[in-house]
Amino acid sequence: MNNPIIEVNGLASGYVKGLNILQGVDLVLKDKEIVSIIGPNGAGKSTLLKAIVGLIPIFGGKIYFNGAELKEIKSYKLAQMGIGYVPQVQNVFPSLTIEENLEMGNWAAKERHKDSFNEIYDMFNILFDKKKERAGNLSGGQRQLLALGRALISKPNVILLDEPSAGLSPKAIDEVFEYINLINQNGVSILLVEQNAKRALKFCDRGYVLDQGRNAYTGSGEDLLNDDKVVELYLGKL
Amino acid sequence: MIEQLGNGLLLGVIIALGSVALSLLYGVTRIVNFAHGEIIALGAVMTLFFSSSPDSSLLFFDRYSPIGINFFGSIVISIILCGIFGASLEIFLFRPLRKNNFGNIAVLVVTIGLSIFLRHIYLLFASAKPSSFILELQRREDYFGIQLTPRNVQVLVLGFIVMILVGLFLTYTKTGKAMRAVRDSSDLASVSGINSDNIILVTWIFSSMLAGFTGIIQGVINNVRWNMGFLILLLIFAGTVLGGIGTSFGAMFGGFVIGVLVQLSVGLEFMDGHTEAKNALALGLMILILLIRPQGIFGTKDRIS
Ligand SMILES: Nc1ncnc2c1ncn2[C@@H]1O[C@H](COP(=O)(O)OP(=O)(O)OP(=O)(O)O)[C@@H](O)[C@H]1O
Ligand SMILES: [Mg+2]
Repeated sequence: MNNPIIEVNGLASGYVKGLNILQGVDLVLKDKEIVSIIGPNGAGKSTLLKAIVGLIPIFGGKIYFNGAELKEIKSYKLAQMGIGYVPQVQNVFPSLTIEENLEMGNWAAKERHKDSFNEIYDMFNILFDKKKERAGNLSGGQRQLLALGRALISKPNVILLDEPSAGLSPKAIDEVFEYINLINQNGVSILLVEQNAKRALKFCDRGYVLDQGRNAYTGSGEDLLNDDKVVELYLGKL
Repeated sequence: MIEQLGNGLLLGVIIALGSVALSLLYGVTRIVNFAHGEIIALGAVMTLFFSSSPDSSLLFFDRYSPIGINFFGSIVISIILCGIFGASLEIFLFRPLRKNNFGNIAVLVVTIGLSIFLRHIYLLFASAKPSSFILELQRREDYFGIQLTPRNVQVLVLGFIVMILVGLFLTYTKTGKAMRAVRDSSDLASVSGINSDNIILVTWIFSSMLAGFTGIIQGVINNVRWNMGFLILLLIFAGTVLGGIGTSFGAMFGGFVIGVLVQLSVGLEFMDGHTEAKNALALGLMILILLIRPQGIFGTKDRIS
């Protein structure tokens, strides 16, 4: 319990060589924790998640998963090792049906059970009703649930969520946060990037404020919420 | 016009098969493959090479004697070799380019170069004049008012069966579904645990085998020549775009429509003596449809780019 699952040390990363978007980021996610990352637009929050799941190159620093360094490991291998990820955009396969989307998520599963589909359908009933429909036809909220289901079906140990509540109605946002809580209670560690900073900080165990590719503030969610500087710089406007 | 319907159906099937192969490759790899026509020609050229008898008067190969194995066996070998050729293109050319973040336009230019290179390699080993597979000549007969040879009918049926099989493969098999997933988003496929590189390799093989098959039926229906693929490539592009980029069913449908229309327009009165201009009508229609529906007939808005 409470071993670091993901540890990021001095991470430099970006999309093209010589242009580091992340300039030395540190982060720890411990077993069973919910950790939030907040920060202004363009701070590099999404870039950090993409670097962890191996979608973009690492130019400096280190990333550890369960104590082992991740070095040039392909994304599909990381998924098979138990790192789930829900991107900010393009987080479902629009031309595939709901069921096929879940099947794709299941490629990462160590062993495949028929039951895993039912577990997802039990959690997200709406997906069962629409399982033969194309994901591109889902509403924003339903799409977000499918994106969660796709990432969860392979039973990852940790899941990285990039703004899962973006663009949703207040009711759908409540729902998504409830689901995240539920997922966490089932033993999955969660790294959550949120635009909805206050809510994310109330919700999480610990939080990181990222600004211009660097750590700006770090602390428990409560401490960050009560930090005058953080409120003034990052929460005031939101 | 109706007397052209038989030929129209035949060209329709050729363009439909060529289009679905091109569209699948584009969808999964984002490569606009101008060398697609040369892979089509490769299927036909190799089949001719394997099947013609060594002492045949077919002088397609000026430098090497044909091998002279039976026609069906030649087809199978040629299609397999087309698959291997496609795999080599991916492994030795396009994968390294992708890993070096080559831009889409740069890759497109590479495929144009590859197309010219391959086409002239064929010309180097073959005379420029068309050759035919050694198949007995057949008369055209009347099938429900459409004039076709029995072999033409077999080709049509086979072509449709292959299209149905391609559809079933993409819809129901694990690999087919993964191809569609990579087509939607290769990053999302990767983080879902799919090895996108493998799926891209399989797509190259699949697309190239289908292209080779397309060339072989083109050779059966018409003849074999060094630039046969290049001559229909434009129609294949047209079919793909008309049906909707990124949808396999759309590509088949669009390709079929383009092929039929091109051939039917030959029968129009004012086309008399101007059959070389037969592409004009169908391509004009394509432009018109795209003005009204930029995503193509079956394309969806989110997949125009
Ligand atoms: N695919 C890309 N190619 C090149 N640069 C990119 C790409 N995606 C993002 N960037 C750049 O990286 C920087 C950080 O972007 P990132 O998406 O990580 O920010 P973010 O913190 O997630 O912002 P937001 O709150 O808007 O999602 C920005 O300057 C952005 O322009
Ligand atoms: Mg972001």
